[in-house]
Amino acid sequence: MKFVEEFRDPELGAALAAQIASLAEPGRHYKLMEICGGHTHAIYRYGLDDLLPDQVEMVHGPGCPVCVIPMGRVDDGIAIAAHDGVTLACFGDMMRVPGSERTLLEAKAAGADVRVVYSPLDALRLAKANPDREVVFFAIGFETTAPSTALTLRRARAERVGNFSCFCNHVTIVPPLRALLTSPELSLEGFVGPGHVATVVGARPFEFIPAEHGKPFVVSGFEPLDVLQSIEMLLRQLREGRCEVENQYRRVVPYEGNPAALRAMEEVFELRPHFEWRGLGTIERSALKLSAAYAEFDAELRHAVPGVRVADPEACQCGEVLKGAIKPWECRVFGTACTPEHAIGTCMVSPEGACAAYYNYGRFAREKEPA
Amino acid sequence: MSAGCDHGDGCITCGDVAEPLRVVSLDAERELALCEDGAGRRETVEVALVAPVALGEELLVHAGTAIARPGAPQ
Repeated sequence: MKFVEEFRDPELGAALAAQIASLAEPGRHYKLMEICGGHTHAIYRYGLDDLLPDQVEMVHGPGCPVCVIPMGRVDDGIAIAAHDGVTLACFGDMMRVPGSERTLLEAKAAGADVRVVYSPLDALRLAKANPDREVVFFAIGFETTAPSTALTLRRARAERVGNFSCFCNHVTIVPPLRALLTSPELSLEGFVGPGHVATVVGARPFEFIPAEHGKPFVVSGFEPLDVLQSIEMLLRQLREGRCEVENQYRRVVPYEGNPAALRAMEEVFELRPHFEWRGLGTIERSALKLSAAYAEFDAELRHAVPGVRVADPEACQCGEVLKGAIKPWECRVFGTACTPEHAIGTCMVSPEGACAAYYNYGRFAREKEPA
Repeated sequence: MSAGCDHGDGCITCGDVAEPLRVVSLDAERELALCEDGAGRRETVEVALVAPVALGEELLVHAGTAIARPGAPQ
């Protein structure tokens, strides 16, 4: 495959690491946030943090859509799955996200018809193959995934698939970033931006970060050299006193995004007035629901959901991890009560979650600090 | 668990990750393509967002939808 092997070249990686080290000013500490869970995963999978000088610290942002789903929404999904005649289709990671009493996997074990699908299109196919079942797709994800759901709903309407609906939990990336940037706990020097979200929305929506908050922002690809080059570009901006949005991932990301994807989203979705984010609280206009034109496919209108807000478990410090206020291993239950096998917080459930990435790739290299 | 959500290798769907796949056959009218990864695994992909695509072309696919044509002129 093109664009893969050449972005994993160890010699080029070492050269980039040396450039990063030479750009870091003595005595200065650089705290950079990678917004996207995919970047967190790449950093630990390829050991990129070991290549960085001690002065450069990576903080893990809220970019995993599994990590930010509040327990109440998981409960709502389980409640839909419990209805007679309903098949709930969801992505694999949602299966183990803890609700207030159980996970979807446990609901399935207790008899609910819950299926793992790889794409919204697979969920629609499931509906067409089982006309006697009501198939509900549990939609999650940022703007990368939302167009996929939008295209599937368009297709469902065109093909008049009446037994298909969508439990929509799509979220948007800019509002939580605005919330994070105004959080007093946060002190960051710059951002490694989400490459595939930007494929859809473009780089322009992130211009407020340098303009209003004075932080450089580099849209980044996901291969190890992409991430290293993005860090190098951030340090170069800081060194040269520049502060702007740059696009490291130009081979994929157009600065203005994908107009067809934006049109599909605009047709199928509208903004919810507010939405609860795990650990970050309620954020205005930060999530999507189905538009009036697609109301017939809205699972929340078709099936009763409890809609109860559930507080996060007290021991869980996912919120502080998501804000970058503490490192995963500083959480009081990390690796003890909370592991990928028995997760308390959502950051441990998804492999893209900051805690799971540390647990799987970095936990033996660090000493746990007292909480 | 689907291949995309294997705990050992990250979750393609929710990690903002897209997979490079090559187009092996096309249904242009329905805007669908059969695509293949480096290991020969095949899946049906929505191509409406990057149309028109050509046989043999490489696409970046996220959750069953092609979101970009890497290297295409922008």
